[in-house]
Amino acid sequence: MATIFRYSLRRFLGQILGWGIAFGLIALYLMVLYKPMITQQAELKTLFDAYGETMMAFFGGTTDFLSPAGYLDFTFFSYIPIVAGIFAVVLGSGLLVADEEKGTLDLIMAHPISRAALFWGRTLAFCAATLAILALTWLGFAAGIPAAAWDVSAASLLLPHLSLFVVLVLFGAFALLLSMVLPSRAVAASAAGGLMVVNYLVTSLARVNERLEGLNNLLPLKYYQGGRALEALDWQALLVLLGVAALLMVLAWWRFERRDIRVSGEGSWALPFIRRTARRRAQRA
Amino acid sequence: MADPAIVTQNLTKSYGHVRALQGVDLEVRRGEIFGFLGPNGAGKTTTIRCLLDMIRPDGGTVRVLGLDPQADPVAVHARTGYLPGELHFDENLSVEKALHYLNALRGHKADWGYIRLLSERLDLDFRMPIKHLSKGNKQKVGLVQALMHQPELLLLDEPTSGLDPLLQQETLRMVKQAATQGATVFFSSHILAEVQEIADRVGIIRKGRIVEVAETGALMRRALRRVRLRFRDEAPVDALASVPGVTVLSAGDGLSVLLQVEGEMDALIKVLARYTVVEFETERPSLEEVFLAYYEAQA
Repeated sequence: MATIFRYSLRRFLGQILGWGIAFGLIALYLMVLYKPMITQQAELKTLFDAYGETMMAFFGGTTDFLSPAGYLDFTFFSYIPIVAGIFAVVLGSGLLVADEEKGTLDLIMAHPISRAALFWGRTLAFCAATLAILALTWLGFAAGIPAAAWDVSAASLLLPHLSLFVVLVLFGAFALLLSMVLPSRAVAASAAGGLMVVNYLVTSLARVNERLEGLNNLLPLKYYQGGRALEALDWQALLVLLGVAALLMVLAWWRFERRDIRVSGEGSWALPFIRRTARRRAQRA
Repeated sequence: MADPAIVTQNLTKSYGHVRALQGVDLEVRRGEIFGFLGPNGAGKTTTIRCLLDMIRPDGGTVRVLGLDPQADPVAVHARTGYLPGELHFDENLSVEKALHYLNALRGHKADWGYIRLLSERLDLDFRMPIKHLSKGNKQKVGLVQALMHQPELLLLDEPTSGLDPLLQQETLRMVKQAATQGATVFFSSHILAEVQEIADRVGIIRKGRIVEVAETGALMRRALRRVRLRFRDEAPVDALASVPGVTVLSAGDGLSVLLQVEGEMDALIKVLARYTVVEFETERPSLEEVFLAYYEAQA
């Protein structure tokens, strides 16, 4: 498993650096921007009031956007699950299936490694890659503390990142599970990505529409704290999300242990209705 | 006597409505080279992938080196070298890094000196990135990784596919050498000449069923052969036609005759002894003809 983990992490290096450095620079920029914003807080308040409640709901629904927690949430952590979620969904859906579709999994699996070692080696590498990206992001925020002149420690800035990490791992695990049951990586990534966006919309709108609260209670972003975690991390919510992520991973593993490994041209993984259509077309031809 | 290297009993596998394997019974002895013949879609790759637990059969039993691949795939893979029919590597690695990685997956069991030796025999450049390799050169990397840990069992799916004739010969020599050193070789092919050249026994699969398993030589001896004869005087067509197992295909110019002989030649030789034969030429059937005969007979 260690070989799989190391090798997978090395493969993710480009993505870690790409996403991590980009987020880190954004984080640093936002911290540097804090002081100039505070000098114009009256104008900003007027501007944000003009946006209206619904618009602000998509940025975490905070009204206290000039406190460190509110500022972090408003400028970054409220929408970043959707942006970083793209990374999680793409990587999660392709963790095993991308190699299967390229045909490289066949050779790897002919070596003396168990399916469990392959699955968990790659899944842990995905978690480590997500952690590394968030570590670079945190570095950007931490480096900007003097510029923002906040009375918060660099260590306390880890808390919103922890909240983000868990929700990204959950999205990745969900995409991974879908890739184990759906016909292709593209379908799994699209489905997981679509549901992630729906989750963001519902959770955001539930802040202004009480009727959505019932549905919102079932969605992971409801339990995501974002920047508000800086004030007090909700460990219970964090553990629930972590538990759900772990459950999704275990289900994906269970499925991977039992399914056939595909190679191009062998077997058909098309959905039944696609298969029927293809058969009809072939008969007509 | 040691357990057979491979045993399958009533192996079945379907993909939706397609029945890829319909009760495959096979036994491959230890130390032999077994050629697995069949056209595309006959079930060769599906059988091999069941042996490696890549796909799970719907029914039947499989034993590889005495082990159940589903129960203990790691042990089976540790003792097996596999060359997939559709070979793909991580394109971003160099040849050397790809082999390092695959060796690491084997717990560094392969000797790096031996890997270099195999690579030199195949004229493989270690520094080349995989993405710049031709199909034939990728096939060489595949062959090296299959052989590098000197496995007890080699499962080769179309091993010479994409190689030029010289490298095909070198590959076959390496496979033979592995067998000489005690490995069992199970290889699928639709190139009949190479099966004929190196296989001790041949199994023919058709539409997911084994239709024949035989010694390569016996399979060919059992088949029809053609005999061209030229007599000093008029060809005794009637006498030849009356020999059991002989069919006259053509009588030519009156002196020559082309016969088809089924089974042993003895009765024909005894009849021919009564005449003056100027030319006697037999054509051994190629495995290809034998193979086609099976397909035509059972179609």
